[in-house]
Amino acid sequence: MLVVGEIRDGRLVPSSLEAVAAARACAGPADAPEGLLVGPAARTESGAFAAAGLGTVHCDADEALARPTPWAWSRAIVAAATAAGAETIVLAGTAAGRDVVGRVAAVWEAAGVTGVTAIARGPTGRLRLTRPVFGGRATEELEVAAPRAVLAVRPHAFAPPPAGTTAATASDLSAPRPEKDGRITGFERVAGGAGPELGDAAIVVSGGRGVRAAENFSLIEDLARAFGAAVGASRAVTDAGWRPVSFQVGQTGKSVTPQLYLAVGISGAIQHLVGMVGSRVIVAINSDAQAPIFRVADYGVVGDLFQIVPALTREVRKARGLG
Amino acid sequence: MEIVVCVKPAPDSETRLRANPAGTALDSEGVKWALTGYDESAMEQALLLKEAHPGSRVRVVSFGPAPRSEEVLRSALALGADAATWIEQPAELAPDPLLAARAVAAHLRDAPWDLVLTGKQAGDDEAGLFGPALGALVDAPSFGGVSAITHDPAARSFAFRRSVEGGSETVTAPVRSVLGLQQAANDPRTAKLPNILKSRRTPIEKVPWALTQAALGPHGRPATERVAFRLPAPRSGAKMIEYRTPDEAAEKLVRLLQGEAKVFP
Ligand SMILES: Cc1cc2nc3c(=O)[nH]c(=O)nc-3n(C[C@H](O)[C@H](O)[C@H](O)COP(=O)(O)OP(=O)(O)OC[C@H]3O[C@@H](n4cnc5c(N)ncnc54)[C@H](O)[C@@H]3O)c2cc1C
Repeated sequence: MLVVGEIRDGRLVPSSLEAVAAARACAGPADAPEGLLVGPAARTESGAFAAAGLGTVHCDADEALARPTPWAWSRAIVAAATAAGAETIVLAGTAAGRDVVGRVAAVWEAAGVTGVTAIARGPTGRLRLTRPVFGGRATEELEVAAPRAVLAVRPHAFAPPPAGTTAATASDLSAPRPEKDGRITGFERVAGGAGPELGDAAIVVSGGRGVRAAENFSLIEDLARAFGAAVGASRAVTDAGWRPVSFQVGQTGKSVTPQLYLAVGISGAIQHLVGMVGSRVIVAINSDAQAPIFRVADYGVVGDLFQIVPALTREVRKARGLG
Repeated sequence: MEIVVCVKPAPDSETRLRANPAGTALDSEGVKWALTGYDESAMEQALLLKEAHPGSRVRVVSFGPAPRSEEVLRSALALGADAATWIEQPAELAPDPLLAARAVAAHLRDAPWDLVLTGKQAGDDEAGLFGPALGALVDAPSFGGVSAITHDPAARSFAFRRSVEGGSETVTAPVRSVLGLQQAANDPRTAKLPNILKSRRTPIEKVPWALTQAALGPHGRPATERVAFRLPAPRSGAKMIEYRTPDEAAEKLVRLLQGEAKVFP
C-alpha cells in the first residue's frame, strides 16, 4: 500500500493525512503503508507525513516537482509503488490528486476510483468503495475487479489519524521526467479566495438574491470566515455581478457536498438544489417560510437575514473561541 | 489544427434519479441522454479555437452504447462539429472510464490530432479518470480543470489556466495534449435550428466493437464493478428554530449544529 501526499507552497496539505487514514482503513494490521512526497520540501515534510502512521516515505526532491504536472507526478508515483511493492495507491482527492489518478491507473494497469468516501471489503474480499455521483444526488458502491487499485479520497470523508510518534525513514527516489510534457508557469490566487476552495470545503456559506446588493455580501463573507468556510452564491448573485461565476453553486456552477451548507436568502430553485442537496447537513435562513429551500433543509430559521446573520456570526465566533 | 472532442452521453441534468429494482444502477427508463456541462464547455472551447484558427477541424468522438451516443454526437454536430465518430460499446458492458480511454486511445493511434478536449469529469459518474488515462495511453501531457485555452501555431503550443485549490495555475503544453475542461469555463452556445436539421443528415463514422476489442485484448473489460446505486433517504423536513430575538435564534442554531448535527466543534 502506498499513500501519496501532496505538498503545496512547501507544506504538506492536510487532506494528505486523511489519505493515510483511508489507507489504514483498508490495510491489514501487519501492512504498514508507505508514503511518497515530491518536490523540494519532500524531505522536510516527510516527518509530519510519517507521523500519521506510515513506514518508509519515498522522496523525489526534484525542484521541477514543486508543482508537479500530472505526467511527471504519475511517473514518481509508479516508481514509488514499485519500490513499495504496493497493490493499492491512495491519494488525497484534491484537484491535483484527482487529476493524476487516471494516468497512474492506465499505466500501472489498475482500477481507478475517485471521490471515495468509505472503504470496505465486499463478501469476496474485494475492495468496496463508496462514492457520491450526480453531484451528491446519489451514491454508488464499486468493487475493484483488478489486482491493483488507485484511489482518491474525498476531502473531509476520513478523519485524520492522531499524530503518532513513528520515526520517519525517508528514502530517496528519482523517476525520469517526461520529455514532451506541459509546464506549470504560474499561480494566481483568486480574490476572496483566502478561505478553503468551494469544491472541497467542509462548510459552505452561500448567499442569494436576498442579500440585495454586492456590498451586503460582506455579511455572508463574515459568517463564512467565522465558520472557516468557503463562500458560495446562487445564480441570481453571479448574474447580477455581485460575485464572479466561480462562486456559483448549482446546475451551471459547482456541485458541492460539504458537511454543512448554509443557504442564506436563497429560495431553493431546482437548479440551485442539484448543486448542494448532497451536503450532509443543510441550514436555510430565509424570510419566506414557504421558500422551497426549507424542504431540503435540516434546520431552518425564518427571519430577516440582515438581523440573523450578524447574530449568528457573533455566536459562531464565540463558539470557536474567536471572541 | 485537428481538434478531437471526446463526449460521453450522460443523463440530462434535470433527470429525476431512480435506482433500478436491483439497486445496482440508475434506472435508465425515460432518461434523456445529453451533452452535460463539462462536455459542453469542451465543445465550446473547440469551436472558439476553430474560429480563432481558420482551417481547423473539430471532430467529436464518443464511446458509448447505441442510441445514446448518436444523440450526443448529433447535438455536437448541431453546435458546429465538422465530423463525428461513434466508437461502439456493447450494451451489456458496464460503463467504465478507463475502458473508454483505452477504446478512444486505440482509435486515435491511426487518426490525425493536435489537441484532445474533454470534460474534466463526466456529468454522471464524475470520475475524472478519462482524460488523464487517455493522456497516459497516447503518451501525451494531460491537464484537468482547464479554461481559456489559446493556441500559438508558431510555438506549436497551447496556453491555458488550470483551476486548483485557492486559485488557478497558468500552464503551457505542446501540440498533442489532452485537456479536460472546467464546467462553466465559457458560455456554451446553443444550436441553431438550421444546424440541428443539417446535423440530422451528417453521416457518423462507426467503429465496431469487434475492432476495439481486438485492439484492447485482455484490457477490454472494466476494472471495477458497480454493486450498489442508492438515492439518499428523503429529508424529513427542516427542524424550524423558534425564537424571540436574533441572538436566541443564533444561539439555538449553533447548539444544534454542535450537539445534534455534530458538524462543527
Ligand atoms: C438553465 C438554468 C440553469 C440555472 N443554473 C443555476 C445554478 O447553477 N445555480 C443557481 O443558483 N441558479 C441557477 N439557475 C437559476 C435558478 O432558477 C434561480 O433563478 C436562482 O437560483 C435564484 O437565486 P436566489 O435563490 O438567490 O434568488 P430568488 O429565487 O430571488 O430568492 C431569493 C430569496 O431570498 C429571500 N429573501 C429576500 N430578502 C430576504 C431577507 N431580508 N432575509 C432573508 N431572506 C430574504 C426570499 O424570500 C427568496 O426566497 C438556473 C436557471 C436556469 C433556467
